[in-house]
Amino acid sequence: MFRVRFHGRGGQGMKAASRILGNAFFLEGYEVQDAPRYGAERRGAPIFAYVRAGREPINERGIIRHPDLVIVADDSLIPVPGAGVMSGVDSRTVVLINSEESPKVWKQRLNFEGDVFTVPVETADRAELRFIGVTCVGAAARLLGAIKRETLSEAIRQELASLGSDIVQISLSKALAAFDSMQAQAGTVTPVKTASSAHFQPPDWIDLSLEDARASAPAIHAGATSIEVRTGLWRTLRPVIDHDRCNRCWWVCSTFCPDGAINVDTEGRPQIDYDHCKGCMICVAQCPPHAIRAISEREAQAAEVEEASK
Amino acid sequence: MSETQSRAAPVSEAKVTVYRRMKDLPSTHLLGSGTAMCAGCGGLEALHEVYDVIGAKSIFINAAGCMTLLSVYPFTPFRGSWLYTAMASAPAGAQGVRDALDILKQKKRMPAEEDMEVVVLTGDGSAYGMGLSSTSGAMERGLDFLYLCYDNEGYGNTGQQFSGATPHAARTATSKGKHGFAGYKKDLFSIWAAHKPAYVATVIGAEPLDLARKIEKAKGLEGPRLIIAMAPCPTGWDFDPQITVEVGRLAVRTGVWPLKEYVDGKIVHTKVPHERVAVENYLKLQGRFRHLFEPHRDDAMLGEIQARVDAYWADVTA
Repeated sequence: MFRVRFHGRGGQGMKAASRILGNAFFLEGYEVQDAPRYGAERRGAPIFAYVRAGREPINERGIIRHPDLVIVADDSLIPVPGAGVMSGVDSRTVVLINSEESPKVWKQRLNFEGDVFTVPVETADRAELRFIGVTCVGAAARLLGAIKRETLSEAIRQELASLGSDIVQISLSKALAAFDSMQAQAGTVTPVKTASSAHFQPPDWIDLSLEDARASAPAIHAGATSIEVRTGLWRTLRPVIDHDRCNRCWWVCSTFCPDGAINVDTEGRPQIDYDHCKGCMICVAQCPPHAIRAISEREAQAAEVEEASK
Repeated sequence: MSETQSRAAPVSEAKVTVYRRMKDLPSTHLLGSGTAMCAGCGGLEALHEVYDVIGAKSIFINAAGCMTLLSVYPFTPFRGSWLYTAMASAPAGAQGVRDALDILKQKKRMPAEEDMEVVVLTGDGSAYGMGLSSTSGAMERGLDFLYLCYDNEGYGNTGQQFSGATPHAARTATSKGKHGFAGYKKDLFSIWAAHKPAYVATVIGAEPLDLARKIEKAKGLEGPRLIIAMAPCPTGWDFDPQITVEVGRLAVRTGVWPLKEYVDGKIVHTKVPHERVAVENYLKLQGRFRHLFEPHRDDAMLGEIQARVDAYWADVTA
């Protein structure tokens, strides 16, 4: 049995990617489970999906705790604790990362013994973000060694048909290029033997004793506690205000920002709260004097690190 | 109208609203950041604008939907209390909260000035469908509450399956065929207005001044006051989150989303697009209508959608 865990951000096509992989396995005659994790499939938020495929009936259920292959659509997720990208991996797990950086760099950073491969996806235009998933799945199919090139193409055609022929064509070319690029690594991922139920290890439940409703019902005693959640981690693009150009109309960016992440200071200057800005870029699109521009979050963070080290 | 009356009109207008210009809108905001809504959410945009006008002295009664995820213990973006109900019963929950507040006031266990606005918050799945019966009941009983529906035209939280608010021909997770959704968007405004409540209005986050005036007006009235906020949805409608406001503005300028209010038994259109932009300009920005343009342009369907919008406005006199 192969156990594949997908990590991505909402909007990168990872849910579709897991379905494509599941479908490809199915077309190859495998028993398959594929399921995204339900609950927070928000644009930009960390998302998870799981595929199991085997020649024998699969008795495992639920989320995959010990993956044989981990697919990471966005390398900025790796340091995010809530994403749990490296949870439950061991030395035989293969990790595939969409990253500009080399596998060597990632092996070192993660202090990881197993195989790491990278597949850089060009996403200069945000419209290309949605193709990250299919690109990763193309590379993954080759690493798994169990899926033929034609089968992958057929699975993509079936899964994406409703999105129109243009999307299907672009997806095919990206996925097949990634498939071909992993030729030397074909079949690196090794399947595990299906474990018997005797080896089942229950998850680390915490048992809560039954309490009176007044003690056990959740009560929040302060307002606006949501600010403790750093949704700024969702961002792939960062809006930056040029205060010389800003004409201090002060309502446009601040009113339209869905997240209330732009407030106006006492001098009438809008200030962006980067701890919470999700990077939707509505402010960039709406600013009347075009005083807000979008820069890559990755580059912005690298520049900050450099600035701090000076 | 006499000359005296017409000169008096701007004065009464000034009394009616503190939101006369864009600069009258607040520049700092009450709703907490850090919610789990998608980047570029048109529903959250409307809610944060609405909340600035309603104020912190409010209790939200929330039916299951995307905005269930606003308050996930121990986090909440609200300054006051929040109650979560099943999808069909938010107005019933509001009745209980309103009654409790009234009893506290009556027994002098709460000073009248600490009274709060009771606000129902649901998506279109609940408002147009499952929750319609309990909303009808609340209006029938003359419940003093405010209802805010964020309408993203589908069951967004579960992956955009069609709802009673889905427009004709839109692709949804459950209408993937060549022609999209076969049904038509339900006219909830008229259904609500037929109950003759104190106030009904349509708003959109992309028109913040119109929205602020309407919420302000609703706040000054008593009885059932119901608002539908169209909520452009980057995830469910398939467009880049940065054009949420543009999509919303086009919904108004094409006439797809009429901004109007029902008060004192009359319906008034608050923003009539005099030179209506062709509807296809609105449709082609959204992936859920892509099949109307690719691989072949579906002139018959585009014509049908345009004709329905034209027919609506042909009947509008105000």
